[in-house]
Amino acid sequence: MAVESDEELIQSTLAGNLSAFKKLVIRHEGKVAGVVRSMLGATPEAEDVGQEVFIRFYESLHKFRGDSAVSTYLTRIAINLSLNELKRRKRRFFLFAGDDEGHQVKAKDDTHDLNEMLTMEFGKLDTDFRTVATLRLVEGYSTEETAELLGIPMGTVMSRLARAQKKLKEGLSKYLNE
Amino acid sequence: MSMETKVEDLFLQSLDGSLTREQKEWLAQQLLSDRKLKLTADQYILIREKLKREEPDSFGPFFAERIVNKIRNLKQEIDYQIFFFFRKYQVAVIGVLVALLALNIMFSDQLTFKSILGFEDQNQDSLVTIDLYQNLK
Repeated sequence: MAVESDEELIQSTLAGNLSAFKKLVIRHEGKVAGVVRSMLGATPEAEDVGQEVFIRFYESLHKFRGDSAVSTYLTRIAINLSLNELKRRKRRFFLFAGDDEGHQVKAKDDTHDLNEMLTMEFGKLDTDFRTVATLRLVEGYSTEETAELLGIPMGTVMSRLARAQKKLKEGLSKYLNE
Repeated sequence: MSMETKVEDLFLQSLDGSLTREQKEWLAQQLLSDRKLKLTADQYILIREKLKREEPDSFGPFFAERIVNKIRNLKQEIDYQIFFFFRKYQVAVIGVLVALLALNIMFSDQLTFKSILGFEDQNQDSLVTIDLYQNLK
């Protein structure tokens, strides 16, 4: 059986077929989960944001013109909603000091391996740097695509990337030099 | 800007953008001649390799089912909201209809089904007959 294209699934969903939309969710869950969990960490809110991404997509299906790929459209929604969630976290952080702003940051100890430490250091990056690093380094978008997705110049993407990588290297210096 | 920082910046630029041929040659030469700079470059490559997603991520089992259920519930909720939004108008319309029926009952001469609904009973005498065949005869 031929695999239905995203466009066909969208048309079918618009005709009232929710199982077509389910196929779209299954197809693009990986990408959305990658972006959201990279931005927010593996937290319970990450799944809430993931659900919100697909519900927003469902609600705007009739407006979707297909100018960009579905995955790009979803990535854009995922980034925007993740940034909103990070803003909410920041507000909570100011209201209830002690709640961390980024990922679940654990105390440094020698038992953590490089991967864990990298996740931790990644969570400590400023939102702007984390967003760019998520798209370019984690999800593998090109510099140009990252700039387009975020609506910023390529030069800004590159400077933010460089700063993000320097911060990561600084934070991991102990583990990288072992 | 120190030489080390300059090389570092140029190396990072080479990973995400493009360098001129002169820049590439200069960078390669610097990395060959300085072991510390080469080590820094390798560390950046390692960080990037570790960050790169190898497999698609997931929100866990039955994520798609949860979304579809949420959409179904959302639809129901919207239907309820529409129903309750129009309910006040429905009540008003029913009220007006009941009032009209009551008026008809009060003012009608005879209590027939037709009179209650407002249809006037006309007897045969009051009807004006037009004989359409008259001219044909």
